[in-house]
Amino acid sequence: MDKLVSQYSRSAHQNEFYSEQEQQELSESLPPLSLKFSMPPVDNSASFLRAMTDDHSNPSCPIKLAHGTTTLAFRFQGGIIVCTDSRATAGNWIASQTVKKVIPVSRLSRGEDKPSKDPTPGLLGTMAGGAADCQYWLRYLSQQCTLHEIRHKRRITVAAASKILANLTYAYKGYGLSMGTMLAGVTPQEGPALYYIDSDGTRLPGNLFCVGSGQTFAYGVLDANYKYELTEQEALDLGRRAILAAMHRDAYSGGFINLYHVKEEGWVHHGFDDMNPIFWKTKLDRGEFSNVTSEL
Amino acid sequence: MASLLDHSARGETVGYSFSQAAAAPVKQHGFYPYTDNGGSTLGITGSDFAILAGDTRSTSGYNINSRMVPKVFKIGGDAETGEGAHIILSVVGFAADGNALKERLDSIVKMYRYQHGKRMSVSACAQRLSTILYQKRFFPYYVTAILAGLDEEGKGALYSYDPVGSYEREQCRAAGAAASLIMPFLDNQVNFKNQYIPGSGEGHALEAKKPEPLPQDHVKQLVRDAFTSAVERHIEVGDNLQMLIATKDGIQEVFHPLKKD
Amino acid sequence: MNHFPEAWGRPRDDVYGAYNPSYLQTSGPKTHTSSPAVTGTSVIGVKFNGGVALATDNLASYGSLARFTDVKRLRVFGENAIVGFGGDVSDMQYIDRLLESIDIRENYSSHGNMLNAKNLHTYLSKVFYKRRSEFNPLWNHVLVAGYDGDGQPFLSSADLLGTTFSAPHLATGFGAHLAVPILRRLFPDEKPLEEVSKEQAIDALKQCLKVLFYRDARSLDKYSIAVITKDGIDLKENEQIESQSWAFAERVKGYGAQTK
Repeated sequence: MDKLVSQYSRSAHQNEFYSEQEQQELSESLPPLSLKFSMPPVDNSASFLRAMTDDHSNPSCPIKLAHGTTTLAFRFQGGIIVCTDSRATAGNWIASQTVKKVIPVSRLSRGEDKPSKDPTPGLLGTMAGGAADCQYWLRYLSQQCTLHEIRHKRRITVAAASKILANLTYAYKGYGLSMGTMLAGVTPQEGPALYYIDSDGTRLPGNLFCVGSGQTFAYGVLDANYKYELTEQEALDLGRRAILAAMHRDAYSGGFINLYHVKEEGWVHHGFDDMNPIFWKTKLDRGEFSNVTSEL
Repeated sequence: MASLLDHSARGETVGYSFSQAAAAPVKQHGFYPYTDNGGSTLGITGSDFAILAGDTRSTSGYNINSRMVPKVFKIGGDAETGEGAHIILSVVGFAADGNALKERLDSIVKMYRYQHGKRMSVSACAQRLSTILYQKRFFPYYVTAILAGLDEEGKGALYSYDPVGSYEREQCRAAGAAASLIMPFLDNQVNFKNQYIPGSGEGHALEAKKPEPLPQDHVKQLVRDAFTSAVERHIEVGDNLQMLIATKDGIQEVFHPLKKD
Repeated sequence: MNHFPEAWGRPRDDVYGAYNPSYLQTSGPKTHTSSPAVTGTSVIGVKFNGGVALATDNLASYGSLARFTDVKRLRVFGENAIVGFGGDVSDMQYIDRLLESIDIRENYSSHGNMLNAKNLHTYLSKVFYKRRSEFNPLWNHVLVAGYDGDGQPFLSSADLLGTTFSAPHLATGFGAHLAVPILRRLFPDEKPLEEVSKEQAIDALKQCLKVLFYRDARSLDKYSIAVITKDGIDLKENEQIESQSWAFAERVKGYGAQTK
């Protein structure tokens, strides 16, 4: 009866504002633990999002997100090499040349990304596709890995971590997430382990992956010279050389070469170096890239 | 489901709309929730300061709504005067989204101080802004944000964002309508891109000039130059230049006139 | 997965159907819930030394039909604020009810209604922004005039998307194209507000309304004008545009049969 009355009688005062709950959520100083995304109030939210952000189908779409990449990772006898470029593009615009596309996935306190000789324990994730998607979900994965570590008193395996990520991307399939990521780590249970996870929900273990718009160029170099028995120095050089080839031939890749080595004790950063001097060194000292003239 | 099993649809035509599809059917709804209010912002950091600047023009289409709509805000200070704030935020794009974002971040920084009894660090605020933006991943805030302040060591810190929350700490960043005009200038003048040390070698041995933190007066002049130049070549930029400078003594606000045409 | 990161995770044409750009349309057939029906045209406002003046005409159009010729589009809120409405008239009436109940509620509180024009503008812009975020917009563009917390003249605008801006003189709708240039010429930025008198402001508004009546096909020669000063609000709702001169019409050539 009350319901009926309230339905047909207007309240003494009109109210048109955010509810208490909504206002509280807006000022929450910690993000909600449950995954709560605000959705556009239309029938087909994925189509709406796509119409606004898909610069591939519609170059003049209003909101352009950062994209484009070459990333690679491969296993060898001494661990795993992870190497990326650093360019982010929004349409034809180079949004940044200094993107850190290797994201430490580990206890956050240890995730300081500073070059150091001592290995930092934890896994590494790579970023290809939507920059925000990769950053956010790898951050989320870090949180889950930390919780795992606290609950079980040992570090999560790469298999388990990659499964968390793959389950997530599969749950959001069709929503318009865009990411192709590799997870690399060395754990006592698995040894060196490398997984590829993408926004379609794919999850693949493997020895060698290249991901991104420049993947084909990187695969070309990598496949020609890769063998499991590479020494550490050879492996580092190969990773750098493969990314260099992709930066040279793929317009959506470029900037700096970001190189990591994952070992039993953790990962080591081997530099974030401008590709230009490396390119000329490769050409002039080693006689490669003979298609390019060195005359000024 | 039929389309999933339909084999004829596969093959060569599996596509992602690479070619512009023929005129799509007209749809029976027309509310478009965004608009672009134009303008441009820019931020540069130094060893003990961070500067965020923006023009104050607000446009819709070819109309100038107003010549005095600031784009750079103090975060976490007094509601009216901004006093006591230690973080600055610039937003450019859709002004209403920008305002909503600013107010949300402001209340979060205030709640943080209330709940933790200390100021939110710029790096924590930067991470939180990223998650705020990402929570609207499927209905994005149509804004490009730049956040700045001083880090734990007292150095200038600047974080730049895309509309859905990917972020990166940088020395300098331009955003908005004239970003493509200003950013190349900053690359050259702040990061010394394509500048070489004269006489350091011949040809490919020529040594690149290393970027180093610039003094505050020099940076202020760069900001003014960047904007006066952008005003010459972009219709959505003009009227006034607003500059917020964060140092250990607080945040200082400066206005400079720009061309009004 | 292919080697185009832009394509990853996006709905593929063969599974989800082709990319549909119709979401980007700003014109075209619309449903009634998301487009205005009966509309009012421009609202114009000018700040002067010690106050603000606001004016609208009294017409509500139904498409191109001049449907209602006595619709008052200025609303007084409390004792020191005025809202001028452009856009959908039904939404204007809804907001009017909303403002009325806020006024009543505020007056029941022990301190009386303390909301000034600035507070009112903040509230209205948030209501607009909330409704646009729900894709259920209130199809209006309003000007709010009055005084801010420091007792300074206040004039600001809010529209259906929640966009806000303020300036010494503002106009919505067709007035943004026709009236604003006139006002900017009469009261250039260099001229301080103290040098603009009440009479000058009112004259300027009348001149703008006249020019709008000449050229805006959705306007009327009957208008409302409100002037806020420290002494209170002076609202006149049945004014007539005077001293019209259509002599200029003779010289307008190049349309229809008049080709010479």
